[in-house]
Order: sequence, then structure tokens, then C-alpha cells
Amino acid sequence: GAPAADFSADQIEDFKEAFGLFDRIGDSQVAFNQVADIMRALGQNPTNKAVTEILGNPTADDMANKRLNFEAFLPMLKKVDSMPKGTVDDYVEGLRVFDKEGNGTVMGAELRIVLSTLGEKMSEPEIDALMQGQEDENGSVHYEAFVKHIMSV
Amino acid sequence: MLHSEFSRIPDHSSDTVALVQSLLDQVQSRLPCGSQHTIKAAVLIQRWYRQYVARTEMRRRCTWHIFQSIEYSGEQAQIKLYNFLGYLMDNFTPSSNERKLISHIFRENDVCRDAEWERYFCYKNIEVPEIYSGPHLTFPLTVEQAMGLVEAFRNKKQLHSRYILQLLLETWKLLRKLPNINRISTCQSKEITICGDLHGQLEDLLLIFYKNGMPSLEKPYVFNGDFVDRGHDSIEILIILFAFLLLYPSNVYLNRGNHEDHIVNLRYGFTKEVLTKYKMHGKRILKLLQKIFSWLPLATVIDQRVLVIHGGISDSTDLGIIARVDRHKVSRTWSDEEWSNSKFLQRRASMTYPKPFGTRSNFQNRSLQDFSDRIREKVEDEVELCRRRTLHLEEQNQNDENEQCVSIQSVNSDNAKEEWKQILDLLWSDPMVQDGCIPNEVRGGGCYWGPDVTEYFLNRHNLQLLIRSHECKQEGYEFCHNRKVLTLFSASNYYDVGSNRGAYVKLGPDLVPYMVQYQATSMTRELTVRQRFRSALKVLREQLFAHKSDLLSTFRVYDTENTGLINLSDWAEAVESVMHLGLPWRMLRSQLVTCKSSEGMISYYEWFNELTIKKPQTDHIDEGLIETLYRHRSTIETIFRIVDTDNSGFITIEDFRQTWKLLSIYLKMEITDEAISDLAVTIDSNNDGCIDIDEFMEAFRLTDKKSRLERGRSMFMGTATDLTKLEGDPNI
Repeated sequence: GAPAADFSADQIEDFKEAFGLFDRIGDSQVAFNQVADIMRALGQNPTNKAVTEILGNPTADDMANKRLNFEAFLPMLKKVDSMPKGTVDDYVEGLRVFDKEGNGTVMGAELRIVLSTLGEKMSEPEIDALMQGQEDENGSVHYEAFVKHIMSV
Repeated sequence: MLHSEFSRIPDHSSDTVALVQSLLDQVQSRLPCGSQHTIKAAVLIQRWYRQYVARTEMRRRCTWHIFQSIEYSGEQAQIKLYNFLGYLMDNFTPSSNERKLISHIFRENDVCRDAEWERYFCYKNIEVPEIYSGPHLTFPLTVEQAMGLVEAFRNKKQLHSRYILQLLLETWKLLRKLPNINRISTCQSKEITICGDLHGQLEDLLLIFYKNGMPSLEKPYVFNGDFVDRGHDSIEILIILFAFLLLYPSNVYLNRGNHEDHIVNLRYGFTKEVLTKYKMHGKRILKLLQKIFSWLPLATVIDQRVLVIHGGISDSTDLGIIARVDRHKVSRTWSDEEWSNSKFLQRRASMTYPKPFGTRSNFQNRSLQDFSDRIREKVEDEVELCRRRTLHLEEQNQNDENEQCVSIQSVNSDNAKEEWKQILDLLWSDPMVQDGCIPNEVRGGGCYWGPDVTEYFLNRHNLQLLIRSHECKQEGYEFCHNRKVLTLFSASNYYDVGSNRGAYVKLGPDLVPYMVQYQATSMTRELTVRQRFRSALKVLREQLFAHKSDLLSTFRVYDTENTGLINLSDWAEAVESVMHLGLPWRMLRSQLVTCKSSEGMISYYEWFNELTIKKPQTDHIDEGLIETLYRHRSTIETIFRIVDTDNSGFITIEDFRQTWKLLSIYLKMEITDEAISDLAVTIDSNNDGCIDIDEFMEAFRLTDKKSRLERGRSMFMGTATDLTKLEGDPNI
């Protein structure tokens, strides 16, 4: 397909500001293990695996201790940006997979199991936070509303 | 079918696991593409969820940042006010009108010997009525009475002013005997508990006592300052701390914080709290507290290895000097070298540094560049006049005592300066990441100190750890400088509900800090990050609106062609240059500017319309003046309360006028006599020549209208309806 459009100057300034907020030390750099979160804060949603690959498959030690500056970060962000992100519909479709009766709901319990055992597993507290207030009295989640709610942050 | 099976899952782990596994198999086997499809779906949800978390965390951090930067800029404004008042105090001659007002303002600091103070603070003629249902105290205090106080406050009772005064007098007596630096040890296997800022949040103190036990012979405590201001129960916290201090003087230690200062209290709510709860005797209580605060020790050292202080250190902090100062007398000195050699200064030094008498409130010493040229010119004339006058006086009037004072003081004025800086650094400084030591411009007092300064300081004094407070931390505590500095903050939910936890630390003989965290839960529903973010934005919008004229003129500088538009980068730069809050403006822009912008440009006139806060019914008053009032509302209220020397809540029209003249210098804007009259007329509706400060602030929507009794407590049968009795009740 067509190459992704470059970031505008304004966008780059925005990214730079956000990047600066993650710099805890004051050396204008961020730790490797912060990169995924900065990207997410900037509207991307890469898998952890994708970020690790882009960082060059660093060791656990590197992740904790190595740092990178904005100039090194920007092309990584670009790369992630060019990856398919997924729309609201994609997420609704993703959840529809678990909709056995085709009635717009999924079982909360089922969702919990899947999210904690498959893919990039989520921890129990993460899942609790995700599901909080979403299950009705039958333990069902109305997923279209669920998706809209989460995406509205 | 699956659903019914799920609904029968018992809450029993091993059964659940087996059942879950079988269900999972069933789930996967039913799908067209089998497990691949499921995994893909799971990954999609997980990615998107993690994005949600990251964005929420950004929001949370922004919210924090907003509240904190506004808090610190308030502190900075406070210090500027200090300096301004102090400068005026010292540089206007008795003949000028301003000087009259200022000396009127500070009348309370007139000479008064100890015996006179004792008479003033005497509680003996205060009667406790039969109907009073709060705690009664007899001295010396017993453990039961101290516990009784805690219990009473938990039940929202209020202690009678007679007992407060008695308690405070005993506390004053005790504090006068204490050294500047408490020295304690973890002998045998005693663990020492150290608490940070409490800021009037009684729930947190009660929570600490609940989790950790109350102070006792087996349970020593150190409280590291900032007991008062901002929270609603500052006086109750003080009462409890002082009661335990009197009970266990070798087991309870109090360090002074920067909020243990009566001018800070005028701004940040403690003064108001006391006057509201104690209408009859509040003034006396505050006066006595002023003395007590000045007598609070400055630091605590544990096992000669761990230093506990409220703020921090600087590259010149010297515990030797700190141990030697007369802590209750150390007050403002001058920084401007220009004046340091003048005889006028030395002469003044003796008069304002009266050894046998009480001391003035603590002002902090900063450069005089903040003030308008207008003042400087005027002052230079005045000083010259004074210089001639004092020289003349000196020749005429060789008073032995004065002479002695002058000669001592001319040597000591440098010492005084040094002492003041030492204490200021101790109470106001913050650690920073970089090496070095720079003035703390954000707070306006103390400095920022780096890891190299910590290293040097600890080595020099043979210490291994510095425990300090002063800064709110999300987890209630935070280590820095290679774990050599521990920040400890004990007021949970400080910025708003859910903003942070509180913490206290326990130190045993091994001196390894053991942290305990907590968070007070209130009756109110906990706010989500989104709600807190919105409330922070609301506060921020108000601040922006308050600076409308400055923002407008700054935008016009960028918008040379007068298009009414400004681009994003310029907007962010301009806003920061006016607001000085250090916030991520680009990130906040989409929340702060909702009017549509064309191609990355912001129409700023439209934006101001968006920001406009509904104005009160004061159409006859100049809009610019209203904006100024709004922006400086906190400072204005503080000045009013300073002028209101008898703490009655009223100031005369004449004082009101004089105050505005002063403010017009401070705010560097012309406020005409006519404008002042308009203001006065609006408020003094009953024409009795007096202005009610609270009404003034409310009339201009400068404060939220809230019941003045809201924070009062019932001393009687204890319901909210009884609060109405408190108005004008002479029994409290």
C-alpha cells in the first residue's frame, strides 16, 4: 500500500512533550521499559512483543537499564504507527468471538479466563480493573458499550 | 449450555481450575478457526486495554502535576507577600502613611514582657458551662485523658478553649526547655515511628494510631512538621500531639515545619479554622500558638546516624550552627547588600532585634528586585532622610542600652542573616536529581539540593540517612539520592480523593527503614481518574482566566498581524511564559481549548470567551480590577486578615482603603480612589464603616460560598443542627 504519511512538525512537538514527561532522571532520555507505555500514551497500541522487537530484542537487564533519546524514539514510533491499529469495529469483532448466543453479550468469567491464559497474558489485578463495573447481575458483559466506554478515554 | 455451567462454578480454587480448563477446551473447540482465532481476539483486547492503562496513567500524572504546581505557585506568592511586607516594614519611616498602616498591621508584635503574656493567656477566668459535653482536662495529664481526647475528636467533639489554653501553656513551658535538635536513640529493641506532613487531616492520624498504636513508653514517635493548614482538623491534631508530648516528653518528638508559622497560617486556613471553631477565644489561642511554633525544635537525630527534618538541606547547612541559634528569636534579615553597610540599617537592626522582648514573625529574606521602581525611588529618599535623622538622634541621645545593642547587633546582623538562612533551608528545601545546590524559586524559599550535597553533608556529620517530608508523594514515600534521602508524607488523598497514599516509617536499632502505607477512605464516593482529571482542568481553567489580560497581551506579541490566531507552539510557549506552572500545555490543549481551530491555529479571542467565568453582580466595577481581584484572591484575603489585627473578621473602611493602596503597589497596578470607593460601597451595605472580610471575598466570588459553620463542630449534644448555636456563643 501507500507509504504512511510523515508526522507533522506539530505532531512531533507533541510527542516530544510527552516524551519529556517520562524522563525521570533529567537526561532527556527514557528507559527501554518505558517505551511501550509512551507509545500507548501517544495513541498507539502495540503488543509488548512488537515493542521488544523494535527495540532490538534487548535482555531483561537492558530493558531496565538502557535508555534512549527522542531522536532514537521517533523512528520507532513511526514504525509502530504504520502497523495496523485496529478500529472500534475490530475490537467489537474480537469480543464477538466469545458471544455464544449472538446476543451482544459475553460471559465475564469466560473473558477473564481467556485474557489471563492466552496471548500476552494479563494479571488478575489488570483483569479486575478492566472488568470493573462491566458485568451485569448475570455476569454478562455488553461488549459494544464496553468497547465504547474504554475507547473514550 | 455453557452459560449455565459457568453459573454453577463454586468459589473453590482447585475445582475451579479443573472446570476452567475443561471449559476452555470447549470454548476453543467450538470456534471455526480454533484456538488461533481466540488468541488473536485475546491479543487485540489486551493491546487495547494496555493502551487504556497508559493513557489513564498519563491523565493521572497530569492531574497531579496541575494540583502540585498550583500549590507551589501559591507558596511562592506567599513568600513574595512576606518579603513585600517585611520590606515595607523596614523601609518606610514613621511619618509616611504607609508606615502607619504597616505598624498598625504589626501592632501585635509590639513589645510585651513575659509576665504580660502570662496574664493575657490566663485561662483561669474562662468558665466551662455545665452543658459542655466535650472532654475535661486536669493537669498533669494522664494516659486516660490523652486517649479520651483522641476518642472525643473521633466523635467530632471539640475541646473547650479553657482546656486548650491550659494545654498550650503547659506545652509552651515544656518546649522552652527543649534543644533545637532532639537527640534520641533506639535503645533495647524500641522501634521509632516517624510521621510526615499531616496538614490537619485527622483521619490520617487516627488511621496511623489504629495501625501502629498510640504513642507510649514502648512506642516512641517523631512527627516531622506541617501539622496544620489545608485540612479541617488542624487544631485537633495539635491538641493530640501536644497532649502526648506532655505525657511522654522523652518519647514524643515534634519537628517544626514551614507551616508552623502564623503568616502562612493566615493564607492556608489554620487561622480561619481556629477563629471559626473558637469565636470567643480564638485570638488568644492563635497568639499562644505563635509562640509555641517559634519554640518547636528544628530537627531530630536518631542514634546519631539518622537526621529527621521537615524540608531538607543546602550546601551550607551546618548542624553546629543550628544547634546554637536562639530558635524562637531568629527572624528576617536583609539580603540586599546595598543596605548592609548603612548606619541606618544597624540602627534599625537594634530596634527590630530586641533581645529581651518577643520577636516579629518570620519573614524570609529574598532579593528586592521584585518590587516596582516606584518603591525604590521613594525608599532611597526616605532612607537618606532617616540616615540624617538617626545620626542626629545618636549624637543627642547616647542611651547605654541602645549603644550596646548597636555595637552587638552590627556584628550580629551577619550572624542573624546566616541563622535565618540555615533555618529556612531546613524547612523549605527540596531534593533534586542533578548535582549542585540552587535557590528554590518554585517555592520561593530554601533551595534544591543534589545527591552530591547529600553525600557531603552525611559524611561531614557522620550520618547515614536523611528523612524529610514537605513534598506529597503518590505512594506516601519516596527514596532518592541513592536511598540516602527518604521523603515521607502522611496526609493521604492530599490533592483530592484517591490522589495518593500516606505513609509512616519505623526504625529499629538496625536503622533500616520499614515503610507502612495507608489511605484514608472517606464517606464520599471515590473519584475515578477521569473525574479527578476534569476537576484539575476546571481549576486550571480558572487560573488561566484569572490571567486573561497577561495572556492576551502575550498572544498579541506573537500575533504580529493581528489576525486573532496563534499557532500551537506559540500558544504553548506563551501560556507557560505567563503562568509559570511547568505543565505539558500541548498535551492539555485539546482539553483546555475546545473551540475549533483551523489548521493548527487557535482563535484566542474565542478561547477567552470559552473560559469566561460567570461574573458577579458588579457591573459598575472595572473588569480589569475584577480579574486582578480574582487572580490574587488568596493574597488579598491574607492581607486583609493581617490587617485585621484583632482577628475580628472586620476591618475599617479606612484600613480597607489603605490596604488597597498597598496592594496597588504590590500588584503594580493603578487602583484609583474611586475604584476603591466603589468596592467599599458594594460591601459595606449597612454603612457602619466596617467591612466583613468573608463577605467581601464571597461577594466577588473570590471564594466558594460555604457555610462558615461548616467546619465547626458541636460541643454539645452533637448534631449538625446544633451548629447554629455556635454563632455568637460565648461559651466556647
